[in-house]
Amino acid sequence: MPDTAGPAMPLLELRQVDKRFTGTYALKRIDLAFRAGEIHAVVGENGAGKSTMIKILTGAYRRSGGTILWEGREVALDTPSAARALGIDAVHQEVVLCPHLTVAANMFLGDERSGYGLLREREMTARAQAVLDDIGFPIDAAAVLADLTIGQQQLVAAARAAMRGTRFLIFDEPTAYLTRQETHQLFALIRRLHGEGVTIVYISHRLEEIFELAQRVSVLRDGSLVATRAVAETDERQLIRDMVARSIEEIHYKEEIPKGPALLEVEGLSGPGFSDVSLSVHAGEVVGLYGLVGAGRSEFVQAVFGRRRRTAGRIRFKGREVEIRRERDAIDLGIALVPESRRDQGLCLNLEVGHNLNLPIFHRLAPRGLVDGRAEAEAAQRQIDDMRIVTQSHRAEAATLSGGNQQKIVIGKWLSHGAELFIFDEPTVGVDVGTKVEIYRTFAKLLRAGAGIILISSYLPEVHDLSDELHVFHRGRVVARHRSREVDAETILKEAIGV
Amino acid sequence: MSEIANNAGANSAGLAAPVRRRRGFRFGLLLNLTLLGLLLLLWLLLALSTDNFATYSNISNLARQASLFAIIAVGQTFVIITAGIDLSVGAVVGLASTVVAMLLVGGVPVWAAVAVTLLMGVGIGLFHGFAIVRLRLPPFIVTLATLTALRGIGLLMTGGQTIAGMPAAFGSFSRESFLGVPNLFWVVIAVAIPCYVVLHHSRWGRHLYAVGSNQEAARLSGVNVGRTIYFAYVVSATLAALTGILTASRIGVGVATTGDGWELQSIASSVIGGASLFGAVGSVIGPLLGAVLLTTINNGANLLNVNPFWQRIITGALIIVIVYFDQLRRRRR
Repeated sequence: MPDTAGPAMPLLELRQVDKRFTGTYALKRIDLAFRAGEIHAVVGENGAGKSTMIKILTGAYRRSGGTILWEGREVALDTPSAARALGIDAVHQEVVLCPHLTVAANMFLGDERSGYGLLREREMTARAQAVLDDIGFPIDAAAVLADLTIGQQQLVAAARAAMRGTRFLIFDEPTAYLTRQETHQLFALIRRLHGEGVTIVYISHRLEEIFELAQRVSVLRDGSLVATRAVAETDERQLIRDMVARSIEEIHYKEEIPKGPALLEVEGLSGPGFSDVSLSVHAGEVVGLYGLVGAGRSEFVQAVFGRRRRTAGRIRFKGREVEIRRERDAIDLGIALVPESRRDQGLCLNLEVGHNLNLPIFHRLAPRGLVDGRAEAEAAQRQIDDMRIVTQSHRAEAATLSGGNQQKIVIGKWLSHGAELFIFDEPTVGVDVGTKVEIYRTFAKLLRAGAGIILISSYLPEVHDLSDELHVFHRGRVVARHRSREVDAETILKEAIGV
Repeated sequence: MSEIANNAGANSAGLAAPVRRRRGFRFGLLLNLTLLGLLLLLWLLLALSTDNFATYSNISNLARQASLFAIIAVGQTFVIITAGIDLSVGAVVGLASTVVAMLLVGGVPVWAAVAVTLLMGVGIGLFHGFAIVRLRLPPFIVTLATLTALRGIGLLMTGGQTIAGMPAAFGSFSRESFLGVPNLFWVVIAVAIPCYVVLHHSRWGRHLYAVGSNQEAARLSGVNVGRTIYFAYVVSATLAALTGILTASRIGVGVATTGDGWELQSIASSVIGGASLFGAVGSVIGPLLGAVLLTTINNGANLLNVNPFWQRIITGALIIVIVYFDQLRRRRR
């Protein structure tokens, strides 16, 4: 790895850069210099301003104030084409390519080779294949992009950027969907680009990747730059403290709550994507399910919730054997699923907050079909007060609330319903720290009231700290179980990866 | 610990997006008032510029025609709220007018003929629901197919002939008035009130909006999405069948090709009345106003001797303008 100390000349420098959205600052007076040829990591909680910064660097947003220097000279950098002309490019977390086209067509998109007005397909395919082979990605250039895994598509996007002679390349959470092997391939590419002198900005939630790759790391919090540190002189604890201004112990709030009677007992449950899973959840208990993406955790809980079919096994709820065939069966028993994507699965965004909160209980608010307007408003208001949802009124559209408050709606509707077993699928993805704390406090409140919780999370510290019992999934099976914090996080990670 | 809680509260309060109260509601009200204003303006202009507009016979004629469009437009709105579309309503109108005419000519009592025809509408709606929910076909395709097929069935049953010879009492219903208001308009009221109650004050209405807004979220909240979709298409097809019966009564014969292009009229009325083809937005009063507006434009153009082809162009332009405003509202998010 090249030297980390040499104060090379900055390739790109931000000076007092601001970005305001109708009065609120998304970025506040950022001073940040990216040295030529370094790998510079940027970390921060969701909402800290990372994506705003990327958009300013790639010309997607126009800054509200401050100057940007490129090789020491002031540049406008206010359109995407201006950024590309300088040699700035980005690989985004969500693949922004055309799924119906081939890998080669995507790599040459906007820059197609043609002769006499006709595309030179064969030439492009051969050239794309050569690039892919050269950087060691085992991908067929003639394949249709949609036929690849998300991870492979991500690699194509990276290869595309590499092929275009980029000088300043931003990676925005590139490994979110990658397998371990794909991550290694991507890292090899990044190191190689680094060796060729490309300046790299690497944005990731996974701090361990930063220690593996980067020379320097900058931390953003609430739109401001907290610190820029040499990676060799810092550690994870310090970065986390910079990011959230609180220690992990303060965030992962947990009360000691006595375990009550069994709510859910699952025996030998099998279905597509998981097999022979047995576990139980008691009142007052958090049961964590940890595993890599695709390990079968989500499939398993969806079967419990009646969304997927199961091929074998028994489910008992409060000691009684039950048959759950569809969502409504589970809901009627008192099982609630708080899904992973609140935008796609959790909320009716263009409906009122109250409408969303009451959605599971309209059969109660309207026993004979007609809705009692006052009862409806009261039920909604009760949850808004209870959950401390910040909204002007229960009649406001759900879309106008912040992410954290939207998440509280998704949880709140199950409180109205009176569920006893809560399944949380990645409950804190995309919410800020303050809301995280509130969500964990809600856990405690639910547990005190006699509920049980199944917590699915890919964020190991979260499941590790909050679970009373932790089940580790690997390839559809439970490979290990642990009582609360009886082993360290590293052991659990190893079990999940299967090494 | 309490400090954290305070911070947390302050934090999330600070990050909350500025809340705008019920913009959807306000926009809907604004749109309806605008439509009403536009309508009154049109009426005033037509009354001043033509001799025939402000006559009892013209107004009641306009009311009858508008009533037919209004009924199917309300049904169409139920479907549009679920983010679906029903292209078959015009064909259902045609088939229903033929079926009711054939039954009546065949000597079946009026009540039975009407009941059977309405049940046919229910059946068609159930089929749409089945194809969309069970076979997972897109609503556009399903109803496009039935649009063609139902027209074919109507033509096959009649051999392309007009069915005449219905009892006089059946025909007089749609020509007569009660308290000075055409009977057909009373039917609209009789349809609109229960539809309004269902849509805005019942559990099923809440579920319709939820399914149109986010099917997945609705399903996860225990809403029976399939049943809700069945319900919307049954309402639409049944109201189309009712319109077919009324049309047969109005023109005094059953013709398989009646209602040609009415699906577009109904969609236009619904959209002009504020419904969003993306779902979860729409009302009952909107399509009623939309239908009256479109009928007035047609009626006025006839009276002013405007080339009838212009009517189609005006309707098209109006749709674009209204949907553009809807789009503006969406973009401000």
